[in-house]
Amino acid sequence: MKEINELNLPQDVRYTKDHEWARAGGEKVVIGLSDYAQDQLGDIVFVEMPQPGDVFGKGDEFGTVESVKAVAELYMPVGGEILAVNSALEDTPEYVNQAPYTNGWIIEIKPSHPSELDELMNQDEYVSMLKGL
Amino acid sequence: MKKTPLYEWHLAHGANMADFGGYKMPLWYPGGVKNEHLAVITGSGVFDTSHMAVVMVSGLDAHDLLQTCFTKDLDACTGKKRAPLCPGRCAYGAFLNERGEVLDDAIVYMLETHSYMAVVNSGMGGVVAQHLTAHAEGKKATLIDLTDRVGKIDLQGPLSAKILEKVLANPDAVFKTLPYFSFKGHFDTTWGPADAVRLADHTPIMLSRTGYTGEFGFEIFSAPDHIVHIWELLLDAGIESGIVPCGLAARDSLRGGAVLPLSHQDIGPWPFINHPWSFALPFNAEASSSNADTLSSNAEHAGFTKKFIGDGALGRVKHNEYTYAFSGMDPRKVTPTDPAEVLDEDGRAIGTVLTCVTDMAIGRHGNQIYSISSPDKPKGFAPRGLCCGFIKVHAKMAPGQEVVLKDNRRKITVEIVENIRPDRTARKPMAGMI
Repeated sequence: MKEINELNLPQDVRYTKDHEWARAGGEKVVIGLSDYAQDQLGDIVFVEMPQPGDVFGKGDEFGTVESVKAVAELYMPVGGEILAVNSALEDTPEYVNQAPYTNGWIIEIKPSHPSELDELMNQDEYVSMLKGL
Repeated sequence: MKKTPLYEWHLAHGANMADFGGYKMPLWYPGGVKNEHLAVITGSGVFDTSHMAVVMVSGLDAHDLLQTCFTKDLDACTGKKRAPLCPGRCAYGAFLNERGEVLDDAIVYMLETHSYMAVVNSGMGGVVAQHLTAHAEGKKATLIDLTDRVGKIDLQGPLSAKILEKVLANPDAVFKTLPYFSFKGHFDTTWGPADAVRLADHTPIMLSRTGYTGEFGFEIFSAPDHIVHIWELLLDAGIESGIVPCGLAARDSLRGGAVLPLSHQDIGPWPFINHPWSFALPFNAEASSSNADTLSSNAEHAGFTKKFIGDGALGRVKHNEYTYAFSGMDPRKVTPTDPAEVLDEDGRAIGTVLTCVTDMAIGRHGNQIYSISSPDKPKGFAPRGLCCGFIKVHAKMAPGQEVVLKDNRRKITVEIVENIRPDRTARKPMAGMI
């Protein structure tokens, strides 16, 4: 298991208490699972994703990641409409482990309320939360 | 929470640790559980299993006591001819209460006449020793609970003998006549046959052709003081073979695919009957031969070869429940603790899910399940894994029948099967593995 100082926690994303990350870019937000979460879950063997066009509110479950031992829910960091899902994860779910912020992204959305992003944790706040776990 | 001798090693090597059976145990190492699972099927892996407990049973009536308390018939359990257990051989079975419910499963080793060793699960040494003591009244039998006084490492996978060969003082003599479910040597040097197996540096071990992965391999017993040393020796000797330290998660997915039960989860406080493990019960010969081609219908077979605690209750079960192995269509699982229920084709709830894991080495091609080690696997076979495990249902079912597993999240369709991961190596003769 990684120590907190060994975790890859980039500054260009925002984090949720459920360990998703969200990266804003123009009108879109890309969402994935943090390095902490993938390290806790272990090898991901399946990622269940929504359909483009589906609409979810902030905090809604939009999919699952499945490790060998357990199934974990994925929750929307911000509400919005699914624009794209990372179909590469269908054959290569291990991208979530290997590159959680790049090849392992899970969905891209059009946020309903972009201001919801401001309610998420920045890197410092997320690290503080992890230290309290 | 207790620690095994390898606890510090696990931490130093980045293991993801969890509580299991009262011990802090590794779930997986940084290389990942998939890599560990696959290594045991194609190469070799080592498992820290020092959390398991050893109970010594000795005395003039030790045999009688075990015949009374253990489900396997020690007078008819070895090989196809069902020869009596003899020194150097071991047998798998369970300890039941009067209601026929499982206290724990165990492998019983016959060390010599009047002397046996039972290897039971984590935290169960005291329970089993107490149970045996309670039934030893008037018998000449001594029980010693060696919990935490014996260490164990499981070396599993088809390359295990090649690795072990490098660390043994006398591999030729050890490997000669070491069939499945036999053992040599001892972890206690005061024991006569202890010299039978020593490492090149003279460390005495007990070496057993057993394990709990479904793959070829060994269980290595030693004094706890030697465990870290033996572990590191094996890892060094196995570098070229790609040996991998493995955690409990890989052990769980490997044993699931091998149709082996986890005590207190797949077998437990309910009657030990109508399950895929009829080999653990002393059915008479006719029953066991017909049982080979019927699945979990052993309640209908009259007659055991011996009397034992719980036998009457097994024959008197009123509301039969049946335990079956299943295999899914893809890696997706349900979560048994949700809980997860089993639905029949009409959507009626007929039971519960006991175990649900993903065996990452297998996949479906047409109607067939193949493993990455199947000699006849399809060209370009790259499985994503299949969910598999055990269900316990009120209705009798047949292989090939489909049921739906439902938890709080999803419904998945699975098939009742007799076997899950094909082409397992556990029973391969030594000669082909050196």
